[in-house]
Amino acid sequence: MNRPMHPPSGHDFDQDLARALASGRDVPCPGFADRAVRAIGADRRRRTLLRWGSGLTTAAACLLAAFVLHGGGDDSLAQRADALAASDESRQLSDILGFADELSLLTPAIDPHSVVEALINPDL
Amino acid sequence: MSPEELPPPEDEEDKRLMALVASGDDDALRLLVHRHHVRLVGYLRSEVGSQTTAEELAMEVFIRLHRAAGRWRPEAKLTTYLIHIAHNLVLNEWRRRGRKPTTALDSAPEPGDLSHDSARRVNELDEAFRQAVALLPAEQRTAILLLVQQEMPYEEIAAVMEAPVSSVKTWIHRARTRLRELLKDHYDPA
Repeated sequence: MNRPMHPPSGHDFDQDLARALASGRDVPCPGFADRAVRAIGADRRRRTLLRWGSGLTTAAACLLAAFVLHGGGDDSLAQRADALAASDESRQLSDILGFADELSLLTPAIDPHSVVEALINPDL
Repeated sequence: MSPEELPPPEDEEDKRLMALVASGDDDALRLLVHRHHVRLVGYLRSEVGSQTTAEELAMEVFIRLHRAAGRWRPEAKLTTYLIHIAHNLVLNEWRRRGRKPTTALDSAPEPGDLSHDSARRVNELDEAFRQAVALLPAEQRTAILLLVQQEMPYEEIAAVMEAPVSSVKTWIHRARTRLRELLKDHYDPA
């Protein structure tokens, strides 16, 4: 930082600008290189861990897929699937709602005005 | 010293070190950081106005450089590449803050070996310049810093800022004009 300096002329704008900015060009930071190398090492280990994690997840997914595909003809698997469908409450609810929809189709259409007239006029 | 014994030019040494870094050489990495961090932190400090933030960003620059070491091709100077990464991080920092830094630097550098009065006048004017530069719009500040402080040619500034050379020239012209306005009290005759 022992850059040669000159008193400000007060007239040479460019020279003063260059001197002012150059004085902040080099900023020594003791120990920075060691800290940077440690931070880079930590980043490298983190990325290695992520790569291994990703690889293991993919391998696990492949194993699961292979197990399911190879077990496709198994009767016990089909039975478990049927039992799962039978215990599926959402499916039962869907069946009931579907039936209710069919009932609504059978309901005769009512004119609201005729209902009001029937209530007002007892002769009807 | 014979020509064979001369040290390799800066760029060639950077290329050699980057090749070693790509192969996992931590000593080369340490040497590369040591060669470039002083100037990089200086640039970042001038941009963000804080020594701590500048060091944090410089650390991130070297982490990104290390990640890219295997893919790096020496088409541009390594210093230009480093400043390019740093510039992008500065843009991210401004977005994160939601505003551009307009504060002065957190401390002034040492005045050197001038006499006391001269040193004080130098410091005052330098501080006025740094505060004025901090007030410039982002593009103008970056362009003038890269030109005057980092002594980069227009083409390299354009590469760092991902802008045409004509835009860089315009920003620098406007920056000089604006700085002259801001500092006119120091130059107008009394």
